[in-house]
Amino acid sequence: MAEGKNYLNHETTIWSWLTTVDHKRIGLMYLFTISCFFIAGGVAAILMRLELAKAGGDLVAPDVYNVLFTLHGAIMIFLFIVPGIPATLGNFLIPLMIGAKDVAFPKLNLLSYYIYLVGAIMALLAIIPVDWISAWLPEFLTNFLTWLGLSGPADTGWTFYAPYSLETGSSVIWMTGAAFVLGFSSILTGLNFIVTIHKLRAPGMSWDRLPVFIWASYATAVIQTLATPIVGISLLLLIMERVFGVGIFNPDLGGDPVLYQHFFWFYSHPVVYIMVLPAFGVVGEIIPVFSRKPLFGYKAICYATLAIAVFGFIVWAHHMFTSGLSNASAFYFSLATFTVAVPTAVKVFNWVSTMYKGSISFDTPMLYAMGFVFLFMVAGTTGIYLATLAVDVFYHDTYFVVAHFHYTIQGGAVIGLIAGLHFWFPKITGKMYNEVAGKIGWVLVFFGFNLTFLPQFVLGMNGMPRRYYDYPPEFEWLHTLSTIGALINGIGYSFALLNMLYAFIWGKKIAPRNPYKSLSLEWDTQSPPIHENFEETPTVTDYPYAYGVPVKEAV
Amino acid sequence: MFRYLPEQASEIAPKIDWINNLITDLSVFFTVAIVGVMIFFAIYYRKKDGVDHETPQIKGSHTLEWIWTVLPTLVCIYIAYYGVIYYQELRYVPDDAMVVNVVGQKWNWSFKYENGKETSNVVYVPVNRRVKFLMESKDVLHSFFIPAMRVKRDLVPGMYTYVSFTPVMTGEYHVFCTEYCGQDHYDMTAKLKVVSQAEYDEWVNYKEDLSAFTPVELGKKLYTGKGCNACHSLNGKKIIGPSFLKAYGREVELESGEKFKSDENYIKNSILAPNSQIVKGYPKNQMPAFEGQLDDTQIGNIIAFIKSLDGSQAIEEEVLPEKSDVDVTKLTPVERGKYIYQNKLCVTCHSLDGSKVIGPSFKGIYGREGELQDGTKYVVDDEYIKSSILKPMSQVVKGYPAAMPPYEGQLNDDDIAGVIEYMKTLK
Repeated sequence: MAEGKNYLNHETTIWSWLTTVDHKRIGLMYLFTISCFFIAGGVAAILMRLELAKAGGDLVAPDVYNVLFTLHGAIMIFLFIVPGIPATLGNFLIPLMIGAKDVAFPKLNLLSYYIYLVGAIMALLAIIPVDWISAWLPEFLTNFLTWLGLSGPADTGWTFYAPYSLETGSSVIWMTGAAFVLGFSSILTGLNFIVTIHKLRAPGMSWDRLPVFIWASYATAVIQTLATPIVGISLLLLIMERVFGVGIFNPDLGGDPVLYQHFFWFYSHPVVYIMVLPAFGVVGEIIPVFSRKPLFGYKAICYATLAIAVFGFIVWAHHMFTSGLSNASAFYFSLATFTVAVPTAVKVFNWVSTMYKGSISFDTPMLYAMGFVFLFMVAGTTGIYLATLAVDVFYHDTYFVVAHFHYTIQGGAVIGLIAGLHFWFPKITGKMYNEVAGKIGWVLVFFGFNLTFLPQFVLGMNGMPRRYYDYPPEFEWLHTLSTIGALINGIGYSFALLNMLYAFIWGKKIAPRNPYKSLSLEWDTQSPPIHENFEETPTVTDYPYAYGVPVKEAV
Repeated sequence: MFRYLPEQASEIAPKIDWINNLITDLSVFFTVAIVGVMIFFAIYYRKKDGVDHETPQIKGSHTLEWIWTVLPTLVCIYIAYYGVIYYQELRYVPDDAMVVNVVGQKWNWSFKYENGKETSNVVYVPVNRRVKFLMESKDVLHSFFIPAMRVKRDLVPGMYTYVSFTPVMTGEYHVFCTEYCGQDHYDMTAKLKVVSQAEYDEWVNYKEDLSAFTPVELGKKLYTGKGCNACHSLNGKKIIGPSFLKAYGREVELESGEKFKSDENYIKNSILAPNSQIVKGYPKNQMPAFEGQLDDTQIGNIIAFIKSLDGSQAIEEEVLPEKSDVDVTKLTPVERGKYIYQNKLCVTCHSLDGSKVIGPSFKGIYGREGELQDGTKYVVDDEYIKSSILKPMSQVVKGYPAAMPPYEGQLNDDDIAGVIEYMKTLK
């Protein structure tokens, strides 16, 4: 296929990439950019783990450590995993999966990429440690950076909790400003996807024939569009308070610090579903293909997806059970939080049931998908502890929470992204990656990840608080294990990504149109797709999971 | 080494652990069951010999969907119910609860008891009596967490919050700050000491007669009692804030470039509103404002104390050990030596880990050989240690400054014997 025209060689100049409105190219540009930030956030994580490997301060000073966990969180959340699957796989696949030529607003799509880039540059500026390096900088440069309001990297944690974030001398304004700008990119992407899915479906592609990845992307887009403005406003209020002294969150000025937490989590809880819903979609696509079975309970999965998106909006204050909530609101938010557990459980049951009487092969994407089911079981069940009021009081802000949300976000969203990248790699690049290397990468990632975070559950159960530079000696051996796990995990990701990068650039094995015999539309065009996606507009006659031999009692 | 949950030191702990363990049992059961079934399917229905076998087109089952929607819902309601019930118990405070006022400020906990007694970073409570910690923050958010008691609550500036529990086991427990509060968040820890009611009464009613102290001595007490010592050294070393050594009359340059000599007004203002005049080269917003926390007499005492630090006396003599409730004569020699090491400021200059601070480390000191400044050889034995403590200047080790004050008249023979025994344990 490679000799024919496709979206990669359709035009080849750098300018053609920078000004492209092709959703496939924009998806790839996003992938490249967020991968850079994934590496940056990963380096911060490794440095943190090395510092914590032994009790006592050995590698960095406490203030540097505080910067490291802030950067790790802010970069991984705002620059990597929120754009994550929607901006990369979503951009690439949504038009292909629904049989469209592009998204509804291709230029808006490019604009959202550049807004993302502006936000990313603002975040990078906020990282410059002006105070520490000013001795080596020419004076005019130092003055200029200081004039811009830059002092040193934020040390507030990615949550920017007031009033600490109002008084710390670090470049908080630039970091929150970056998050504010990145929010716009997210909103525009979401808006674009909603309109695309409503208006550009191919003939016959009714709502009950949409792939679950599209359902997941749709639900995600709704959350992006509705929730992101809230965090934008709250970060803007934070900036106004810092710059103009308007009293909103600072009690000295008559403000309320708990109000900031409400604002913040009203977005930042739903954002968890922006991260993981698309990963659910990816897993829902992979398991039927490698089981040669219809996705069990297709409609139940679609309803569950929407339910999670809706319930996600009404549970935010479970992050605040110790913050000074009244008993009544604590009861409500605890009960509401449990409602998220149910549709999540329904999904897991359906994925596993899909494999019943299948013809299962263990290609790398399937291994990641099965690994995902385990990791998400751990993430989900540990979420039950945190939803339970009295128990959450004990675990709140300990390593238990750290481990729980890494199982959710890394075990869920990141593993989902890596699974999806392997799965659609032939379609995106027109090449095949090395299968053995892919499996080795999976083993390293899976083993390293669990070794990193299982000990952290035990740490949390023993009361180890998070964001601690140092700790009592009884916690040391668990921290050491966790650090070893983090190193293996880091090697695993590098291995998996380099395997794909190598295959993309130097790989010789050419991918056929449809290497997995999938019934989904994106495989119904050449690999990689032509610039216009399809030679002619496809017509859809069934949902994309009609694998196997029809049986009478099917529902 | 492996511990699943901390000791159950409060009345509510077993209840919370019960629901915790129930969730663990259910979680492990469901995770093993579901992942087990998945692995079983994967192996049993695997593609054999690289050829797909025929599969039935099963699209779903309404019955199953209902079962696995309703079942988890019921389990969730059951767990949520007990979570709420025990939470109510956690938040309940009987009228006769003993109240301790807690103030959190970067990075220090202070506690005030019903009779006005105050402590810093250590809090005593009697066993088997409900206590209520009424908490306020002087600066940013903090969170008060005692793992062994299963209680935690944020301290929110501008409002009072509380935790309440009934300790049921005597002992010493960790207190952590669990809401990130800046540079030394990790170090904002305290000890909770649960003692018998009799011990508590004796301790809480023990009062020092303040009239017996000079202003300088009272200033010293405030220096350690209010946590000034966390950031301001007495030996000229820069920790976070400027050292107190020769701080009075010192040439000061502010961030703004303004220069003047430090005087009483400057010191007072720096205590009450520290951020209004930050010395150049030091971080802003680190020191909490003591406005409303110290009265004029106390501030006067601190100023007197700072004035006394004019460098004319060796600094080790400046701080008397806090009046303590430890009776050294009841300790074993090694414990006594360790106590003296920590409380007579040996710890300031002699490390235990082999690192060189100001004086030689105590690690492996007993039996060590070396050379003195005047070139003579020495071996560390009982006699050498004793004379080094009493008359340090007579035998300074080569490469070290002659900085140690003599302890003649401050330590008796039993004290010194204890120190020697303690040193022998530091291999």
